[in-house]
Amino acid sequence: MSTELNSQGSSTPSRKRSKWDEDDDTGDLSAPTQIHLPKKRPKHKTSRPHSERKSSSPSPSPPPPPRYNHSVYVPPRTRHPAIQSSRSVYCYERLNQIEEGSYGVVFRARDKQTGDIVALKKLKLDEEKNGFPITALREVYALMSCRHENVVGIREVVVGDTLTQVFVVMDFIEHDLKTLLTNMPSPFLQSEVKTLMLQLLSAVHHCHSNWILHRDLKTSNLLMNNRGTIKVADFGLARRYGDPVGVGGMTQLVVTLWYRAPEILLGAKTYSTAIDMWSVGCIFAELLLNEPLFQAKGELELLSMIFKLLGPPTKNSWPDYFILPNAKTITLPSPQPPAIRPKFPHLSMAGIDLMMSLLTYDPEQRMTAEEALQHPYFTESPLPKHPDLFGSFPSAAAGEKRRKAFDSPSAPVRAADYKLLTEYDIP
Amino acid sequence: MPALPPLASLAQLENSPSTDDGLPAVLEEDLRAYGCKLIHQAGILLTQKQVAVAAAQILFQRFWYVSSMKHFGVGDIGMGALFLASKLEECPIRMRDLINVYDVLLQRAAHTIGPKADTPFKYHPMSYFGTAFYDLKESLVVAEMQILKRLGFNVHVVLPYGTLINYLQVLGLIKQENACTKAWGYLNDAFQTPVYALYQIPTIVCAAILLTIRHLNISLPSEAPNCWWELFDACWEDMWNVCGYIMRLYRERPEAEQKRVLGLVSKKDVRRWLEDNVPDK
Repeated sequence: MSTELNSQGSSTPSRKRSKWDEDDDTGDLSAPTQIHLPKKRPKHKTSRPHSERKSSSPSPSPPPPPRYNHSVYVPPRTRHPAIQSSRSVYCYERLNQIEEGSYGVVFRARDKQTGDIVALKKLKLDEEKNGFPITALREVYALMSCRHENVVGIREVVVGDTLTQVFVVMDFIEHDLKTLLTNMPSPFLQSEVKTLMLQLLSAVHHCHSNWILHRDLKTSNLLMNNRGTIKVADFGLARRYGDPVGVGGMTQLVVTLWYRAPEILLGAKTYSTAIDMWSVGCIFAELLLNEPLFQAKGELELLSMIFKLLGPPTKNSWPDYFILPNAKTITLPSPQPPAIRPKFPHLSMAGIDLMMSLLTYDPEQRMTAEEALQHPYFTESPLPKHPDLFGSFPSAAAGEKRRKAFDSPSAPVRAADYKLLTEYDIP
Repeated sequence: MPALPPLASLAQLENSPSTDDGLPAVLEEDLRAYGCKLIHQAGILLTQKQVAVAAAQILFQRFWYVSSMKHFGVGDIGMGALFLASKLEECPIRMRDLINVYDVLLQRAAHTIGPKADTPFKYHPMSYFGTAFYDLKESLVVAEMQILKRLGFNVHVVLPYGTLINYLQVLGLIKQENACTKAWGYLNDAFQTPVYALYQIPTIVCAAILLTIRHLNISLPSEAPNCWWELFDACWEDMWNVCGYIMRLYRERPEAEQKRVLGLVSKKDVRRWLEDNVPDK
């Protein structure tokens, strides 16, 4: 048997042109296979008779070559991207600087070929002792593997003249939610909050199901266009997680303080998708209040604010609390009931329930993004507003109006983060 | 719908940058396989996880569809690929460890084809602050960056193992003695070939299963319209090509051909070979 294979494989394998041709994918992606998907043929039959290759109707033409339909999980080969090198940054024309952070500078730029306006983020690569920084790698990887309607779109990564100039090209989005909230005369309506929350949850669910933790969800990292759509951005702290979580060790230096989940504050060595869900809870509250929920100056103050709002954790509400590293150093206040209700007087019972489910102490019991998307809050009146009905605002990022956002603490500094990562992550 | 990994285009397959530079296709194939063996051996010496080693080999294979071996050595790029893939798979390795391991492997290769090949190999460690180390470190950083740049930072890879287990389960072969081990082995050997940069995972996994059932005399429905591979969206020609790539690894080679690659690890070696053997270039 093996000799037969030997002789067969002795030259470059022959190629079947149709597998590579562009026209290969006519309607196949939506077509069901015999085994993977239920039949939805009849619909196509009326609208597109030409794509019907396995038609059983009597036809005088010779029988078509045997073909089967692809499963959605195995699209035609032509759907795979080609292996393509990075283009030069000179394909873009620099317009104005949008912001500068510890991670690098963001510019607004124009694609010289298409005229599209994009955001160019220059990665800081100098002084790297371990080659390409793992944090930047995670960011690019996360953006590329989490393409979604509500995740900021990465177009490509371009390079400058030297190997240390790398720019991530992303869709330009007019606003960030933080600046909007600050400058808005009145908070978002309930119907608007629901739309924004559904979009956020669907993005977070998408990331989590692609094994990506964002680890820095906050309003200033949520961008919003003039068509009422928000996009999750800044995956600078994102990383892949696995099952079991925490392979290789994970740093506790994640998530901007105000949005940081209690298990990280208490020094948990492993954490998972639940930390993003806590941040989502904080964002939900911020959308309703028009200001951040926990504006603490330090970790201890934050913990006491959390305890005050939710009541201190108990053996029931968080069984693992007492084995967390930092739990011993903290004296819990006397038991008191949660104070969520008075904080949000206009929120419906379902809304309060969603808030409590997201701001649940025990990460094991905290609601997942998938569950939250099904929450009754989103199906009760008032219903989510259609994104097209959102008003538009002047864009600070496009230089239409000077922004004046109030100070919020920034995510843990990248350099320090990297140092720690190399300490913790290497076994 | 998860993101799809990149695959070489027909044009990239027909003319690789190395063959454009005059390197015979067979030699490029051998050097690709040798570079992947080095990655594999380094992975074992570093006790690195197989997922990182496999990802490194896939990135390595993709790289040669956009770059020529005249400009980059298989040793450097293999080292860069393993370094990069280890970060991607969240199991980073130290540069010094990786450099030391590659130094051992390359010294041993040089010894095998050197004048003292009949004496036992003895490793001479490089000095801690010597230029040899800093030269290799510089090459490692450049190689990693070049891989990223030339692959357009699309370093998404999909590994075949989960798919294999699924398919064997569907085919009722999961409990069959040896079937899983054998197919798993074929998948791992296939990393030395370019198939992961050319074909979709279901096709490659079906090819490994085909080789396995032929080898173990297991029969599965293979007559149209009931062909087992069609369950998994593979097509016969592609599957058969992948089998060909894998089986070519096991063919008998003259000793000279086997040793030829050991002396062509760096781009300098390849350039010298091209000057000596391809007069036109």
